[in-house]
Amino acid sequence: MVAESLPVGSPWTIALLAVLVAVELGLLVWALVDLARRPAAQVTGGNRLIWLLLCLLVQLVGPILYLATGRVRAQTAAATTDRDHVPAAADALANERLAWAAAPFYGATGASGDRSAAPATGGAAVELSAVRKVFGQTAALDGLSLSVPEGSVFGFLGPNGAGKTTTLRILAGLARPTTGSARVLGHEAGGADTRTFIGYLPDVPAFYKWMTAAQYLRFAGRLFGLEGAALETRVAALLELADLRDVKTHIGGYSRGMKQRLGLAQALVNTPRLLLLDEPTSALDPIGRREVLDMIAALRGRTTVFFSTHILADVERVCDTVAIIDRGRVIEQAGIDDLRGRRGGLNRLVVEVDDPARLAAALTGQTWLRSLAPHESGGLSLSVDDLATAQRELPALIAHSGLALQRLESDELSLEDVFVDLVGKGRP
Amino acid sequence: MTGFRAFFGKEVAETLHTWRIWVLPGFLLFSAVTAPLFTYFMPTLVDVLGGQGSGLSIQVPDPTAAAAYVEFLGNLTELVMLALVIAYGGIVSSEVRSGTGALTLTKPISRSAFVLAKWLSQLVVIAVAGVAATAICIGVTAALLGVGPAAALAAAAGLWFAFAALLLSVMVLLSVALRAPAAASGAGVGVYISLAVLGQFPLVSDASPAGLTSAGVALVLGEPTVWVAPLLTAVAACAVLLAAGLWLFSRREI
Repeated sequence: MVAESLPVGSPWTIALLAVLVAVELGLLVWALVDLARRPAAQVTGGNRLIWLLLCLLVQLVGPILYLATGRVRAQTAAATTDRDHVPAAADALANERLAWAAAPFYGATGASGDRSAAPATGGAAVELSAVRKVFGQTAALDGLSLSVPEGSVFGFLGPNGAGKTTTLRILAGLARPTTGSARVLGHEAGGADTRTFIGYLPDVPAFYKWMTAAQYLRFAGRLFGLEGAALETRVAALLELADLRDVKTHIGGYSRGMKQRLGLAQALVNTPRLLLLDEPTSALDPIGRREVLDMIAALRGRTTVFFSTHILADVERVCDTVAIIDRGRVIEQAGIDDLRGRRGGLNRLVVEVDDPARLAAALTGQTWLRSLAPHESGGLSLSVDDLATAQRELPALIAHSGLALQRLESDELSLEDVFVDLVGKGRP
Repeated sequence: MTGFRAFFGKEVAETLHTWRIWVLPGFLLFSAVTAPLFTYFMPTLVDVLGGQGSGLSIQVPDPTAAAAYVEFLGNLTELVMLALVIAYGGIVSSEVRSGTGALTLTKPISRSAFVLAKWLSQLVVIAVAGVAATAICIGVTAALLGVGPAAALAAAAGLWFAFAALLLSVMVLLSVALRAPAAASGAGVGVYISLAVLGQFPLVSDASPAGLTSAGVALVLGEPTVWVAPLLTAVAACAVLLAAGLWLFSRREI
């Protein structure tokens, strides 16, 4: 049939046209009847006129488009009209998704930054096992393994080029490990179901410049299935949080700081269980930085925050646990206090007397003393197992030895000391 | 398909809010108005230009509505298609390059939905603009030259739409495969020229999408033509190209 020329009026042509017309008319009638009978709340965007015009004007495609995408399912519609009630018949994942989406996103634990707040479940929010990522001849990640407890605020530290951004991109599903395993909230990283529960802020967030902040947040919320009043409430709260409520201009005109704040707001739109932040404070002024850190601290116990940075003061301020990464490998992972303590930082005393050698001799045999070393000030640096006992007994010991005490103070290692010590070891 | 509706809405809104609205619809509407006008004034133009020359006499047939339609279809096939290829060189890659895609794709929208929403939204734009342009062309032609074979023009516009859908699918695949929009547009122009050349061979033209444009002209002129095979192969090619684009994009790192 098709190999021959078909005159316009041939029976084959007429038959084919008749089939096409019948299909088109059938779809058109189906779409129009559905459109007429369906409540406005169950039509996408609630605007039936636009769909009506689309169906009538765009042959075939319009009705198909409406039937495929223009109708809100009854179950979703119920959730749209009453977000406080999770649909009973939905599958477990959908229930969980809606429950998370409807939950308040911020402020439940206050902005105190209390590190004693308990993690949500005690499970691992992130598990990386021997992850290797190779670009050409270069290994950006080289057997990286770490585990992040759920509900914690986790600092991911490393020098430039250490593999921080690559790790975050793998966790967010934008890249895949060459070898090894990356799991997020118990699932393989990158799946659509996993992405429902994460929020992601890249180091330089990019937005649609023609949108306003409110439009972008609405768009982001809709991608998570938020609609109607629930969406508007969330958008308003996030605009307030990002201090962008009164900004009506398009994002194209925003400063870097404004974009960063909007980036953080969009990452919170779904009340994420895991918040992945890549250098979140790098573009902010001191006040903006403080606000972001307070916000991160307030999420402790409710949301796992995994943020990379090279600003050590930020980590010391809000993190429970840190991992230090260099050349694609974790070289240390521990709680901040533990990390400093493990390296003799928390239990270190600096003491200066008129005769350090005599003091060193007098200290021999003290059970609370772990180690002894000369200090740069000319005194002694003592690592002790029991700080309180040492602080109580040391002055008496000095007095008993007939020495003159000139200085006695605790000398905590800063995270920076630890970082430089660990990362510097492998450097030429 | 997770996230399809939200992203489709964004794509349509973006088309309306940015320069994209002026490209294809602009060319289409321009062609719809100028084709009948050009046809109507052609004898006058030739007469005026001929009178100023060396006395060479050029015979121009009387303008007809069918000739205006053919002129319109010619514009659609050449001008609009080249505009399409250039405009959509970055249909997918521009979002990946700018970083907006990374923020979107870390939300629960599938990569298939991301690509399909882009394809379908632009197809709708082309369809709406195509219907409007055809109607305008018929109206302007009727005003200047009387009513022509409007039903045949509508059918020919339908075949052109299938050809546009095919080229759009080509651009989606190229934009996924090649990160640089200019490279994708260049390759797209190559595909377009190849189809135009292949259309000159009846054997190929009758059994492939390359015959869609010539079939449209034949329909308007009331000549016998083959359009079923070109249409079916175009639809099949769209499906294959889109499937390839989706597969490639699902494996790609953002």
